[in-house]
Amino acid sequence: MTTQLVFRQDPPPALDSVWWARNWPSRLDRKLEAIEEVQNTLIARGQVAEDDLHWLMLCLDEAVTNAMLHGNEGDHTVPIAIQVGTSDGRWVVVVSDQGDGFLPEAIPDCENPDNLLLEHGRGIRLMLEWLDQLIYFHGGSTVWFARHPPQDRPPCPST
Amino acid sequence: MSEHVIIESYDKIVLAKITKERLLEPVVIGPLGAALLKEVDRHARIALVLDLSEVEYMASAFIGQLVALHKAVGVAKGRLALCGLKPSILPLIKVMNLDKIFVIYPEAQAAINLFKRQAP
Repeated sequence: MTTQLVFRQDPPPALDSVWWARNWPSRLDRKLEAIEEVQNTLIARGQVAEDDLHWLMLCLDEAVTNAMLHGNEGDHTVPIAIQVGTSDGRWVVVVSDQGDGFLPEAIPDCENPDNLLLEHGRGIRLMLEWLDQLIYFHGGSTVWFARHPPQDRPPCPST
Repeated sequence: MSEHVIIESYDKIVLAKITKERLLEPVVIGPLGAALLKEVDRHARIALVLDLSEVEYMASAFIGQLVALHKAVGVAKGRLALCGLKPSILPLIKVMNLDKIFVIYPEAQAAINLFKRQAP
């Protein structure tokens, strides 16, 4: 079953522990450096299976790109904040921008066949496919996503 | 023009092989999409084989470019086949139900052979 998107106005809860936290300039030409630092943090702690690295990369790329490009409108002087840590036994990544958020209604419904040929708006749907939890806090200016590490994942239901 | 695609034309078929492993950065995705659309404009009723066998990571923005390419080829009454999708890429296409609109082949040669057989 696909994870459901949650959209809230309140701030995110504090993480149980923080493994890595940085402010990062809203420079798309440097986003891969940030993504690789987060990825390496999670890999070093055995939080992501090797076969899933492309999903992790996709989720990080969507979150960081959206924060830099839409949240901070690409302003190099305005940083995004990135945190990596744990909450309730799952690894968590939190990415915050300094924008005004967005309206959840603005996200295209990718399950609607009429939207099949849209050229944008697929990022969140793809993230939901792999993550255990995807929450937008602060009206959309903070994205919080989580997944159980491989060793703690519940077994797949038998078919 | 993009440095991340090699384009060859023969027998009225255009083979475009993407040579970049990560399609994540706007400075890569934008010019790459533009280069592919330009090929659609250059060839009447193009038969375009897009070889993605080198691509390991793909942002949703590039999926949008693939949809734009599909639409442009349709308007031009051409044909498009995606080939060589790695196990990291194919699920993204399927999750978005785009396997219903894209013609997908395991290898470029299979698509080339099909296009040759179906030459108008």
